[in-house]
Amino acid sequence: MRRPGLRTRVTAVFAGGALVLTAAMALLSYEITSRTLLAERERTANRTTYSDAKFIVAPALQANQEPGEVLAQLKTGDTRRALIWRNGRWHAREPDTGLTAAVPDSLLRMALDNKPGIQRVRTEIGPALVFAIPLSPGVVFVEVHSLQELERTLGVMALVLGVVAGGTTCLGAGLGWYATRRALRPLASVADAAQGIAAGDLAARLDPAAEPELQRLTDSFNDMVDQLARRIERDRRFAADVSHELRSPLQTLSAAASVLARRADRLDQRTGTAARLVAEEVARFQQLVTDLLELARTDQPPDLTEVDVAELARQLCRARGFDDEIVKVSPGAPQVWQVDSRRFEQMLANLLDNAERHGGGPICVRIARRNGSHVLEVDDEGPGVLPEDRQTIFNPFVRGRPARARGDSDGTGLGLALVAQHVAAHGGRVTATDRPGGGARFRVEIPEVRVEVPEEVAS
Amino acid sequence: MDDWPVTSVLVIEDDDRIRLSLILALEDEGYSARGAATAEEGLTVHRTNPADAVVVDLMLPGLDGFECIRQLRRSSEVPIVVVSARDDTHDIVAALEAGADDYVVKPIAIKELSARLRAVQRRTRSTTPELATVTVGDLEIKPEAGEVRLRGELVPVTHTEFRLLCEFADQPGRVFSRQQLLQRVWDYEFGDERLVDVHVGRLRQKIEDDPSSPQRLLTVRGMGYKLQR
Repeated sequence: MRRPGLRTRVTAVFAGGALVLTAAMALLSYEITSRTLLAERERTANRTTYSDAKFIVAPALQANQEPGEVLAQLKTGDTRRALIWRNGRWHAREPDTGLTAAVPDSLLRMALDNKPGIQRVRTEIGPALVFAIPLSPGVVFVEVHSLQELERTLGVMALVLGVVAGGTTCLGAGLGWYATRRALRPLASVADAAQGIAAGDLAARLDPAAEPELQRLTDSFNDMVDQLARRIERDRRFAADVSHELRSPLQTLSAAASVLARRADRLDQRTGTAARLVAEEVARFQQLVTDLLELARTDQPPDLTEVDVAELARQLCRARGFDDEIVKVSPGAPQVWQVDSRRFEQMLANLLDNAERHGGGPICVRIARRNGSHVLEVDDEGPGVLPEDRQTIFNPFVRGRPARARGDSDGTGLGLALVAQHVAAHGGRVTATDRPGGGARFRVEIPEVRVEVPEEVAS
Repeated sequence: MDDWPVTSVLVIEDDDRIRLSLILALEDEGYSARGAATAEEGLTVHRTNPADAVVVDLMLPGLDGFECIRQLRRSSEVPIVVVSARDDTHDIVAALEAGADDYVVKPIAIKELSARLRAVQRRTRSTTPELATVTVGDLEIKPEAGEVRLRGELVPVTHTEFRLLCEFADQPGRVFSRQQLLQRVWDYEFGDERLVDVHVGRLRQKIEDDPSSPQRLLTVRGMGYKLQR
């Protein structure tokens, strides 16, 4: 399972912390408040009960009034009920509503032993406090005080505290989210800078003043980019130097060799042969160097323009002496593509040269469209490419087996590697497969670049 | 092919071996070739005894190739072909903007250099005689006289610029693709489109009132260029 992200974890910790803290606070407040309220209620109830017993019930009973009448004199309201135990039975103001059952036997027995008592009980009408006060032997005055209101108050309080705890938890989560966002913001700028560098913007640096806590990261990041930029610059300069140092003497060789080759017929046979060999080899070396330098130039993004690939293919075929009728555009396939014209031309030319060199010449150049990609296929009727060679054939200096067997020294061994590189520069891929009916099929797939068709600038 | 009188080529190249080999090879191709080791020497030679075409390297001691091209252009419409080991876009565009007609990268086979030179030569000699004077607004193109006039005033253009303008003037309003222009003007089967873009830019500098918002030589996005009728 994937580990949750830093941000999620920090948020969870913040939320959990807030929950624990507020829950503890809420419980504590609830406990203290409920105890205080209950004690208060008990005191009040106690006072009321004693005053009822002392000033109303006891004098009335001494005046030999009936317990029912005595109880009727009490203004008990809604929150309390009074009972009298005398002669071994209960007397109540109203018919028994089950109230007597709520009076615990133990409490009554205690009162009959002349010990007043209080007990919290749960009655049919909710929680209550029962006071039992012995008035005379065998006579006990009992008052049942409802705690329902108190309970309701406490319920409301618990609800409020719960809501507060929930709210604080959410707040904690929000705070965690916000805090991580703030804390991760400098990292986001690091990520942006890294992305910029990956995209080739070597001027991207982090502002060391922006985040003092991240000084080390900022410094080492900037150092790293400096080094990278230096290295790339050094490589680039080296490549340019190599390019210049190779091209210049080759120019002399090429021109001088052509002077020699022109006179080869007039030289004696040995010298003439040698002159021709030099000229041929210089020409091949020239192509090799050009291809190698092209292959080394990987850093340049493609310069996309609209190219009529069908027309280009026909031109390239004609230039090589092939019939341009072999260029076929599948119905519905666009023949104007967004490509780097120079590289695309070289790519297609190399594929045609490859077909000529190893497959007896191209028999079809097909321009098609498949799954949102441009497709270009070059078919030949040669021996095809062995399945085990289909990957490696695009590596530099890998030559087709038949060519190697013949000791053919025509190609540079870089043609297909350049094809692969140019296709990759366009974000596409090239594959070698069998052509149905025999021969090789090289297929280039390049994702279509969607360009809004601009209105004619002028008309 | 070589049915023209011998043409003279000036090779401005600081590398003695390259210069010597190019002169030998160009003479084999039927040119009369001369060499100069620096831009200053080349400019002096060209002033006293103008060549029919100039081949110039970019990296030269003292005045560099770009400056050499600019100074040549100040007084001359001679066709200039750059032969350089530098092949990045920046250098190519800068050399063309300085006024070069074509650009090839070393090492170039002598046959190919010769073909490039013949192509620029053709531009200087052949206009399109059957084409009558074309007037587009206040722009006048006179192929037979090799003249371009804007509001009656003579506009100095190089041979390549003139040939390019003639292609447009032949069919005003028609859109030409860059590849079509490369074939018609430069004789490339398939060539570098930057040649066209830079030359169109150079023409605009000369025939547009505001080259940044052209009114005469228009870009048709995704298609090419056309001369506004």
